[in-house]
Formats: sequence, structure tokens, C-alpha cells
Amino acid sequence: MSYGATSKSSSRPRRLKLLRPYLLVLPAAVFLGLFVYWPVVLVTFLSFFEWNMVSPQMTFVGLENFASRFADPAFYRLLFQSLLYIAIALLGNFLLPVGLAMLTLQLGGRCGDVYQSLIFTPTVVAVSVGALLWQYIYLPTGGLLNAFLGLFGVPGNNWLNDPATALGSIGVITAWKFMGFNYLIALAGLMAIPKEYLEAARVDGAAGWSFVRWVLIPLLMPTVLFVMLTAILQALPNAFVPIEILTRGGPNDASNNLLYATYQSAFQFFQIGKAGAEAVMLMLLLGGAAVWQFRILDRSLTYDR
Amino acid sequence: MTARSYPDRLAAHAVLILAVAVTFVPLVWMFGMSLKPPQLVFTDPLNPLPLAPTLENYANVFRTANVARQFVNSVVFAGGVTLGQLAIAVPAAYFFSRHDSRAANLLFAAFLLTLPVPFVVFYVPNYILMSRLDLLNTYPGMILPQIASAYGIFLLRQHFKSFPQSIIEAARIDGAAEWTIIWRVVLPANRAAIAALAIFVFINTWNEFVWPLLIARDPEMHILTVGVAQFASGEGGIQWSTIMAAAALATLPTLLAYLFIRRQILNVILEGAVKG
Repeated sequence: MSYGATSKSSSRPRRLKLLRPYLLVLPAAVFLGLFVYWPVVLVTFLSFFEWNMVSPQMTFVGLENFASRFADPAFYRLLFQSLLYIAIALLGNFLLPVGLAMLTLQLGGRCGDVYQSLIFTPTVVAVSVGALLWQYIYLPTGGLLNAFLGLFGVPGNNWLNDPATALGSIGVITAWKFMGFNYLIALAGLMAIPKEYLEAARVDGAAGWSFVRWVLIPLLMPTVLFVMLTAILQALPNAFVPIEILTRGGPNDASNNLLYATYQSAFQFFQIGKAGAEAVMLMLLLGGAAVWQFRILDRSLTYDR
Repeated sequence: MTARSYPDRLAAHAVLILAVAVTFVPLVWMFGMSLKPPQLVFTDPLNPLPLAPTLENYANVFRTANVARQFVNSVVFAGGVTLGQLAIAVPAAYFFSRHDSRAANLLFAAFLLTLPVPFVVFYVPNYILMSRLDLLNTYPGMILPQIASAYGIFLLRQHFKSFPQSIIEAARIDGAAEWTIIWRVVLPANRAAIAALAIFVFINTWNEFVWPLLIARDPEMHILTVGVAQFASGEGGIQWSTIMAAAALATLPTLLAYLFIRRQILNVILEGAVKG
């Protein structure tokens, strides 16, 4: 019995000692808990209610907010347009930066450094400022784009107010603003490929297509995947400020998407429950994509270690 | 992977120069138009260079908006968020770089999972929280929720991992507590990475738009990026030369910072991404 007693009396300090290093994480945990985890819980909770953010009355409606979303044709349009934004991001913020990074790497040395610095520049410009600069470029009269097209006799357009071009025009702005960052990430990954691997494969006689297929592609894969998934995950958040400043999702919802519509439900129409349901669906979509991303990276980032 | 043939290099240069040109068009036009006389701003749109350069637009910006106040707001906002993020990220990143237990890894995964959660999710609850705490239109209201980011933890952990454990053991044998080790040993040794992270967070926060607009409707509390947008939504029509001057003023600080410490900024991203 006495043995048990001593072990009991010594286990508390020991457990405290074990826990003490976790104090280092406490500040971060408090902030993330208060401003990230708690909001996620609260938003999920609110998605089962009808509420306008100010009224003391909240009505429990169960899954009604979700059901009404799926019954609404406008919801599927938002979903489709969200996919369009993602498609544009795949072109402008994935294929383009990865391609440019490969070209930069081929040049190498000082030239590469200069291109790196220049192409990254829009990253330090505020996205709100960038949106305004492009608003000027898109102006129907006096704007740069129409003036430029006029040189070739191409008729101009009211880019941001035409339902056919509004979404694409916003997409171009996000490509411009965020391409440089993904370009740098791509460059980083490509530069990290150990040169010895390439040399060794060459020595072993791998050449032509078999070199590309069995050596180059597997080595490039982790980087390419990472940039691709970043582009997908960031497509809607990146378009948010340009939409808010330039089109507010219009004309006629032509440039709207799930993320911006969620914001509108909350801060424009004060339908907190509807916004909550939309936010939960967004989280599931993006969170799922992110988990998938970490999984793939975990599996493919082994050559680095 | 270095291309050696001459035509290949030439083609690569051509594509990259085109990319750089498109990248810079909006910025060149911004500075050019900001110097054009207001009545000439739409004449000859294809030529960004002002024929009769004037500082009139800048004077106009300073006359209509309290740019000095907005500048101070931007500095306080970005500075506060940067300091806060470093304060929570450095100890946590140090912890995760030294502990490989199941619990620690689970906690780290939980932190990482917050990275892709779209910001719209936080806005409603954080807005409600800040308004209940009576922090609307205040610096703490703008700053506190923005500190909660796992990005710094993720990035610094990679740098701290390569720091030799033997030095930390030596400090521990000398009787140093964990916080002392962080403050006296880990921080100084990693100051380049921490400074670069600070610069990066500062620039990103400086460029924030939606949260500072939501939480601080009072024009006295507007930051520069919000102030610029007010010019564009102003009543009585949009004056483009003034907008361009305001945009240039909001962009100059980060652009100058980038010009001088470009290498450090690029390197922190390059290294973080590689090791991640």
C-alpha cells in the first residue's frame, strides 16, 4: 500500500512537469480557440437557427437552412460559378506560375533572381488597391484595355458590367495579384530537387521520354501538387475583395460565388442562419480539400528527408 | 535543368519579359496617372507618362482625406498584428520543433487545419464578440482577431527544427528555463527568419481590407487601403487622378520596403516552402 501511496504523491508533480512544456503553446491555443475554433463551433450552431444578428429572438429550424439551399437553383449557380473561379485560378495561379518557374530555373543565376523579384511584386500591393487599378483598366470609356484593343480594331466592352465578362474580369485580377506568390512557391520546390538525382539518372542511361516519365515527373510532382491545391483552396478567398469593391457579385449575380454569397447573407441580408449553413458547407468543401492536400504531400514529400 | 542552347534561352527570356510587363502595367499606370493633371487623365490612355506632371492629385488626397491619420492607423494595425503573431508563434513553433509525441503532433495537426478555413466563417462570430466587448471602432477590435493565425507557427517550426539540440541541452545544463532559452538562444540564432516573417505578416496586414472595414466604420479609424476605396465610392463621381494618387500613397510604403529587403522576404518563403 505504501508503494501505491508514494507513486500517487509523486505522479501529480510528474504530470505537471509533463504538461509544463505545453505552456509554450498556450498563447497560440487561446487565440486560435477564441477567434478560430469558437467561431467554427458558433457558426455551425447558428446554422440550425433563423436569426438576424440583432433581434433577441432566435428560431430553431433544424436542417431547414441546409435544405433550402439545396432546393434553391441559385445555389447551384453559385456552385457552378465557384468552379469557374477555381478553373481560372488553375490557369492563372497554377499552370502559369509553374510554367514561368520552370523557365526561370532554366535561365538560372542572376537573370533568374531579377525575374523572381519582379514577378513577385504584386504580392506586396494591397488587393483593394489592385482592384481599383484594374477597375481603371476595365473602364468602358477611357480605360486602358479598350484603348489597347482599339489599336487592333477590336471593339471594346463594359467588362465589369457585362454578365458575360464580369466573372472572367475578376478572375484576371486575382491571377495578376496572386500569381507571383505561387510562382515563388513553385520555384522553391523546383530548386529543392536534389541535382544528384538528375545526374544519377543520366549516368544510369535514362534519356528522352523515359527520363521525363520516370525521373523528372516524380521529382516535380510534390511541388506541382502543392501549388495546384493552393490555387484551388485560395481561388474563392482571393476573389473576395475584387468582388466586394468592383461588382458586389453582380451584375445579376454573374460574378458571385459561394464565399461571397455567404458574406452577403450575413452582412448584407443579415440572414445569419443561412450564412451559417453556407459557411458550414464551404468549410466541409475546403477542409476536405485541405486534408486531401496534406495527405498527398505527406506521401510525396519523402525525397526531401 | 539549365537550357544551354541559345534559341531556348531567348524564348524563355521573351516569355518572362512578357510576364513582367503584364505584371507592371497596372503599377506603371498608377504612378503615371497620379501625376497627370486631372483634366488630362483620360487623354492618350496608352501613354502612362504625364506630359505636364503635377503633384496636384496628391495635394487633393491630403485635402480630402485624413491621410496622416489613416497612415497611423495602418501602422498601429499592421504593427500590432505582427507583434501579436510573433508573440504566439515563436514559443509554439519552438515547442513543436522539439516535441514529437503523439499529443504534440495531434495538436500541430489541429493548428494546421485552421489554415484553410475561409475567413468569412470567422467574421460573424468575431464581429459579434467584438461588439459585445464594445471593441468596434477600436484598435484592439481590429487587431486581436487577426493575431489568431497558425501560419507563423507552421513557418518558424521548420526553421527551429534545424537548430542544434546540443546547444539547447547545454543551456539547460547551465540551468536556463525554457523561456530563457527561447529568448536568449533560439530567438537571436533565428532572427533572420523571424524578421522576415515579421516583414511578411506586416505587409499582408497592411494590405488587409475586409476585416478593418467591417470592424471600424468610423472614418477616423480607417486604414489606408480602406481610405483608398472610399475615394472610389465617393459621392459626386469618381476622380481617377485622385484615386491613383491615393492608391500610390497606400502602395509606396510596402513597395519601398520590398525594394530594400527583397531578398529576405523572398528567402523566407523559399525556405519555408521547401522544408514544409
